[in-house]
Amino acid sequence: MLDFNFNEFEMENMKINKVGGLRIFFVALLLCTVSLSCKKDFLETFPETSLSDKTAFATPDRILGQINGLYDGLKSGQHLGGRFLVYSDIRGEDFIVNKPNGVTGLDTWRHNLNSATNEVVNLWNTAYSTINQANVFMKGIDDNPGVVSSALADQYRGEAKFTRAFCYFNLLQLYAKPYTMGNGSNPGLPLRIQAETTSANNDLARSTVAQVYAQILKDLDEAEAAVPSTYATAALNTSRAHKNTVIALKTRVYLAMGNYPKVIEESNKIISATAPFKSSTGVPMQLEANIATVYGGTYTGPEAVFFLPMTDLDPPGTQNQLAHYYTAQSAGGFEEFYLNPAGIFANPVYAPGSTDARKAFIIANGTKNFVSKFKKPSPYTDYVPVIRYAEVLLNAAEAHARGGNLVRGLALLSEVRKRSNPAFVFPSAAVDTQTALINSILTERRIELIAEGFRSFDLLRLGATIPAKSDATNVAQAVAPTSPAYIWPISAQELANNKLMTPN
Amino acid sequence: MPGVSIVVKGTTVGTLTSSTGTYSIRVPEGRNQLEFAFIGYVRQTVNIGGSNTINISMVSDQQQLGEVVVMGYGTQSKKDVTGSVVSVSGEKLKNQPIQSFEQALAGKAAGVNIVMPNGVLNNPPVFRIRGFNSISLSSYPLIVVDGIPVYTGDASGTNAAGNALGDINPSDIESIDILKDAAASAIYGSRASNGVVVITTKKGKQGATKVNYEGWVGFNQATNLPELLDAQGYVNIKNEALANIGTPARFFLQTLADGSTVNTNWYDVAYRTGASQNHALNFSGATDKTSYYISVGFSDQEGFIRNNDFQRKIGRVNLDHKLTNRIKVGTNFSFTNTFNKAPNTGSLPGQAFSTVGLGRLAIVLPPNVPAYNPDGTYHMNGGAIGFGANNPAVASNYPNAEVLLQEDKFTSENNRLIGNFYASLDLVKGMVLKTSYGMDNLLTENISFANRLQGDGFSPNGSATNTYSRNNRWNWVNTLSYQTTLASSHNISTIAGYEEQSSIGSAWGANRQNVSDPFIEVFQGGFGTISPSGNGLGINAFRSVFGNVNYDFNKRYFLAGSFRRDGYSGLATGQKWGDFGGASVGWDISQENFFKDSKLADIISQFKLRGSYGVVGNINIGDFPALSLYGTGLYGSVPSLGYSQAGNADLRWETSSKTDIGINLAFLNGRIEFDADYFYNDIDNLVQAAPQSPSKGIPGNSITTNIGAMYNKGWEFTLNSTNIENDKFRWSSNFNFSFIKNEVTSLANNNADLPGVTSLETANRTRVGYSLGQIFVVETAGVDPATGERIFVNRNGQKVRFSFQRPAASRYLFLEGANAGLVAPAIDAVADARIWGNSIPTYYGGFDNNFKYSAFDLNLGITFSGGNYIYYGTQAGLRDQRFWNNEAGMLRRWTAPGQTTDIPRVVYGDNTSNGSAVPMSANVYKGDFVKLRNVSLGYTLPAKYLGKTGMSNVRLYGQATNLIVITKYEGSDPEVSVNGNSNLAPGVDRNSVPLGRTITFGLNVGF
Repeated sequence: MLDFNFNEFEMENMKINKVGGLRIFFVALLLCTVSLSCKKDFLETFPETSLSDKTAFATPDRILGQINGLYDGLKSGQHLGGRFLVYSDIRGEDFIVNKPNGVTGLDTWRHNLNSATNEVVNLWNTAYSTINQANVFMKGIDDNPGVVSSALADQYRGEAKFTRAFCYFNLLQLYAKPYTMGNGSNPGLPLRIQAETTSANNDLARSTVAQVYAQILKDLDEAEAAVPSTYATAALNTSRAHKNTVIALKTRVYLAMGNYPKVIEESNKIISATAPFKSSTGVPMQLEANIATVYGGTYTGPEAVFFLPMTDLDPPGTQNQLAHYYTAQSAGGFEEFYLNPAGIFANPVYAPGSTDARKAFIIANGTKNFVSKFKKPSPYTDYVPVIRYAEVLLNAAEAHARGGNLVRGLALLSEVRKRSNPAFVFPSAAVDTQTALINSILTERRIELIAEGFRSFDLLRLGATIPAKSDATNVAQAVAPTSPAYIWPISAQELANNKLMTPN
Repeated sequence: MPGVSIVVKGTTVGTLTSSTGTYSIRVPEGRNQLEFAFIGYVRQTVNIGGSNTINISMVSDQQQLGEVVVMGYGTQSKKDVTGSVVSVSGEKLKNQPIQSFEQALAGKAAGVNIVMPNGVLNNPPVFRIRGFNSISLSSYPLIVVDGIPVYTGDASGTNAAGNALGDINPSDIESIDILKDAAASAIYGSRASNGVVVITTKKGKQGATKVNYEGWVGFNQATNLPELLDAQGYVNIKNEALANIGTPARFFLQTLADGSTVNTNWYDVAYRTGASQNHALNFSGATDKTSYYISVGFSDQEGFIRNNDFQRKIGRVNLDHKLTNRIKVGTNFSFTNTFNKAPNTGSLPGQAFSTVGLGRLAIVLPPNVPAYNPDGTYHMNGGAIGFGANNPAVASNYPNAEVLLQEDKFTSENNRLIGNFYASLDLVKGMVLKTSYGMDNLLTENISFANRLQGDGFSPNGSATNTYSRNNRWNWVNTLSYQTTLASSHNISTIAGYEEQSSIGSAWGANRQNVSDPFIEVFQGGFGTISPSGNGLGINAFRSVFGNVNYDFNKRYFLAGSFRRDGYSGLATGQKWGDFGGASVGWDISQENFFKDSKLADIISQFKLRGSYGVVGNINIGDFPALSLYGTGLYGSVPSLGYSQAGNADLRWETSSKTDIGINLAFLNGRIEFDADYFYNDIDNLVQAAPQSPSKGIPGNSITTNIGAMYNKGWEFTLNSTNIENDKFRWSSNFNFSFIKNEVTSLANNNADLPGVTSLETANRTRVGYSLGQIFVVETAGVDPATGERIFVNRNGQKVRFSFQRPAASRYLFLEGANAGLVAPAIDAVADARIWGNSIPTYYGGFDNNFKYSAFDLNLGITFSGGNYIYYGTQAGLRDQRFWNNEAGMLRRWTAPGQTTDIPRVVYGDNTSNGSAVPMSANVYKGDFVKLRNVSLGYTLPAKYLGKTGMSNVRLYGQATNLIVITKYEGSDPEVSVNGNSNLAPGVDRNSVPLGRTITFGLNVGF
């Protein structure tokens, strides 16, 4: 019994020691870990996938990256990467809606937009986002001198102004009355030329159309002086603005303003006096021998004045892609819009027996015909032809014709036509008078530039009624220049937040 | 009674009673007392004397059994609580055909509003405690499981909803305590603004091992689908719409070779009767040193939507062990594998206008076109459904739903570990040091495959997206608590603590397009392209100190206060820290002698007044809102960098001041309990994604800013009563009723309205002076009997009629007055719309009844809600005059002058008259409803039949949910939210699937 009791006592003792040790161990462990874990920077966390604004201008590569970012902003599928071109074409009479879908332009096609329709809101957002990117960039490069040479900084400022001017110009084409209507006296856009990074400055009234054009031209003139004549590679020459790119855009801007002498003046800088027409300075520009090359090759030929590059990793995005809208399902498209048989498709260029090379851009599905200029399969990496030398020639042709120089007008027109149909001779009735020649040029624009975003632009700058169009089930009535539907409504979001904004 | 612990007093000699309640024990010499103990019963000490047999009746300990509320970091007797807390027992979740526990909370607790958004399995319900408490941040409450703040929301990255709370087995839950006011929740500081839900899982109870099984099988069907036109009706209506614009018929019935006519009911393609089963098995018990609870669960549920499945496998171990008399260690540990599968239902937030959403396809697809050709191939036309016998000019651009259901695949699979390990040390009497380390690791694999034939995969010729996300959170809490009673009247309990929490979210994945061969249906197969998809990386951290004091004097006067200082990584240096706290007082009048002596005491057994005030916060601001950022990308193939976020270094915590005044009354010894609360939540410094004028070009057009204010105030009443109780029959009920008023009092940008977006449509608007997310539509005034045209009321109050038939410039004409018949300005979806009514219910509640007669039990669960409007946008689609199918009600459309009806003359292509282009008041309905949510009838086998099977309890039951809805709402169910938990766009019913009705049969067995 005694032994047993003794053992029990021993055990109790051991237990007590063990318990005491555990307790001390427990407290010590707690204190240790608490003190270890009290890392000073525990609450200092930073993103690993985005850069701080403090370092965005720290290296030449980052500054160049931002320049690329500005072009990438232009390239948004909501803007020049796809939809802006689509909107301009489908407002016109050359296309009929095939898939009546509110997401893919149905209400633009039939002039049934309101201030909250998605395209009205999204294009406004996207273009202004790029404008602010340019403004923020220009402020940043001023605030961070010495990272790149001042010459390079000037060039970058020029490129930023080019993107900003392009955005304002495109916005004017849809959200404001044409310059030619009242010489730009109508309400234009809120003119934002300062970097916006805070909650201030929500309210800004609209400048007039003329004031916005003045800013566009100021930006483009300054850009022309600042950007290089040429870049190191053909890819850069077609995807970034050089002097000839800026000049080419200016021919479009002056055409929109109806300022034909300036179109002539600018176009003369990049079109030679005699055929074959080409640029004589800077990046060489001229028509491709075969128009198919423009859409099928490297996208870096002499005709590609400004093309937006697409890759698998940087595509236009769902429901923005030109091929998705226009080409036939058999060619990988979604057939959102088909060619109006009563539109430009009725032109003899597309008739049976025509040998015009541009007829090859038509693909049929049953009774409906589709434009097949854009044909890369999903994710649809066709480069977007934003400025093409053919357009510059036609801009110039029209300006010369309107200025009375019918000979040069016809020569420029023929350059475009004969590239696709060398044997073609314009009948004299089509070119002998100024009016006839202008009409021929306007028609040529519809053929040459179809699905590249020019139809609404051409109708509006000339103050023409947007013609009616219809098929068995879908109808869009004509829209006269006096109708509110002639231009787009202002985005509801802008009206809600900018107290000085006025609706259209 | 089995499992009673018997110890010879003063020794370690002990035993337990057997299953029949007997015991034997050898008593050492010199000892003469036995101690009997069982949890929940009064500990008894008995003198042995000379007796060989000692029989004891254990007496339950009212004090101990008195309900306990799990507050932040500790527990409190319910009687002592001075904050506003409502507890729901795990029993209430038992046997419910649900995926996650909160789905069963509807109508169960005052102040808690649960809205099932639609019938997609495991879709997170709208969960609100005392209303919507934020505008731009989440209004979802903080969910704490066994001390770990767990991930909530939809964890899925695919079309299959994946509520993160579906990873918790409802049958493991012991109790749910919902902390509503600041006094109760302030200890959670910056995360308590939306209320806190504290989940406690089950523990083993003293005694022999108990085995418990719960199982059910069930059947699930869609309810109250809108009645559609059949093939003949469709052909008639659409041809009439064509004829009205002078176009010949283009819609025709299709006759098959066997002479039959195609008449496809697309509901039969989209929906099914889903079969489900659920099993939960647990083992639990405890000795005086160790308690254990081990459970396994398996749930396999089919939704009424084809291809919508939910499967959960879960295991749990809860273990507590006394290492020594003073040191306790333990763990609560669960591992879950959850598999969610669904087609694109068009019913999750952001999906409402998807052209491949099944809810929408089932109603828009033409009924005169078959799903299959006679040869068994799919009926298709390019990327869309085939046109059958219709003229190709009117081909539908919607895909064939059958192809999507057969060929697409969308799944989301979670592997989830939620667990903690803790140890506590009793330092001195009443003082406990505790440390607890918890983690919530949520790994999700998302798989999407969109087929190359139809739908989203058509253009890319097959598209597969796999993403993997890893959400790792750890949480470490150290507390020191002290509890004492001074001078036998002053009860004090305090706790002080330090806590750290870190959450890392990492997701990566890719999209592949253009299948190499039609055989390929998985990401790993051959494809033409690959591009990144679903990538993200974020981190945030909390560091906090907190404390709490509860004091009462003789359980008569109560005083409590808590404080928390939180630091959050997402705020800028200098703004990181915020102080929160709350205080409360209580007076239990029934403990006063004057009351005890009065006659009232005979009737009123408790009479407690309480009040609280405090400030708490909401910090669901994301990881890096304070920083201005540049995002990296590509311009074609060269690197690009762009301004991607306008940060706000001045950003501070969103704070909510909460006031609560309450009363607890109990009558007839607790047979009737009545609680009432008045509350006022004043939310200040609202963190708002402050809208910027889009022309400023700020990324996302918003900057996260502290601006704006709002309040929620209201009343809550709860009545628990045992209405009838006698030997054979018992009827008890819980009735709760909440009133709530929400008003936004200030907003950013000079009180600019905030739109509430439903994908492509904006039918909600938040405006100062109104409640959040008002329905915002253009007023309509019926149909003009003379012309059959829709009448709109424009911004100037003028009536204009609309015909899609007229040219664009003259579609709108003035209806009356001097300008009658003249062209009117077009109706604008925003400029002509007006605030129509609140989309948030102003009252809601539940009436839960339990009847027991002999061995039978019956439960009737009723919920109700109202005071709100619902925008029934689906109706716009159901009456759209494109090629879409329409509701059967179209048969009452206007056809002849003088006819009075609510549906305009049909004009082909018209998407304006019925609301597709412009949200209109004709599609707004009152949302009031009363719903018989749950009925169950059970039978408990009398013990005599169990004999020697070892079973102690067997119950069989049948149950039905969502049986009857009484409402004037025209849509499928007034309980709906296509935008899920959106604060700005609630109350929208747009193209989503309805709710289901489930019938289950189940068995509960206890051993």
